[in-house]
Amino acid sequence: MYGWIWRHLPGNAWVRALISLVLVLAVVYVLFQYVFPWAEPLLPFNDVTVDGQ
Amino acid sequence: MARARSRIAGVISVFGELLITAGVLMGLFVVYSLWWTNVLADREADKQGSEVRDHWASAAPGALDTRDGIGFLHVPAMKNGEVLVKKGTDPKTLNNGVAGYYTDPVKSALPSDKQGNFSLAAHRDGHGAKFHNIHKLKTGDSIVFETKDTWYVYKVYKTLPETSKYNVDVLQPVPKESGRTKPGRYITLTTCTPVYTSTYRYVVWGELERTEKVDSARTPPAELR
Repeated sequence: MYGWIWRHLPGNAWVRALISLVLVLAVVYVLFQYVFPWAEPLLPFNDVTVDGQ
Repeated sequence: MARARSRIAGVISVFGELLITAGVLMGLFVVYSLWWTNVLADREADKQGSEVRDHWASAAPGALDTRDGIGFLHVPAMKNGEVLVKKGTDPKTLNNGVAGYYTDPVKSALPSDKQGNFSLAAHRDGHGAKFHNIHKLKTGDSIVFETKDTWYVYKVYKTLPETSKYNVDVLQPVPKESGRTKPGRYITLTTCTPVYTSTYRYVVWGELERTEKVDSARTPPAELR
């Protein structure tokens, strides 16, 4: 999977490493900005109130 | 034969990479929950807190403003500075690194009310983690609530380290479970427990000891000095 991505990136090893880094950062950004905020209320880790439900 | 074997190897290696990815993903989620949400929430709470203070400085004494936040909670035993208190306990409010007073299922009293229970909730971890150190509170510790004109000094008289999340009776105007039977001016702090999960709720009860007028220098009461 990651091997496949690596083989399909253009340029020499340095350029590929740089592109990979950018891709990783982009993924982390999307996770922190969109995915985790969406997932968090669905997970039972941080409910702090008492309620009847 | 050799081709079949290499295909199996390929499938296994993709499966392995997926597992590693899942592990990294969960690790990142922990980083997000325990660090990044604190960064965001503290930033937001600071902003909202200074707005309230600016408001106080500029406005003449008057009606309680519940929109921006009604005041600041100071709990020396929790060592977390001041916590802005706003109306409501929905996640959107609490995620900004503030404490909220209950409007539902049991409506909270306000500190200025003649009697009743001022009931609050805040996060134990992440989103500012304002009640992270709630377990450090012991009987006799002080909880000070600061409004525009008054310091309300409460003393903790009972803690309940573990209760069900359905136990809404802890918020009653007279919290019977704390041992009190007469109407009074109580404060109730609730958050989740054990740390990092929310299986149960942690509850701390206090009772108003005295109030102090805020002077022009906003000199804090003895408990905070």
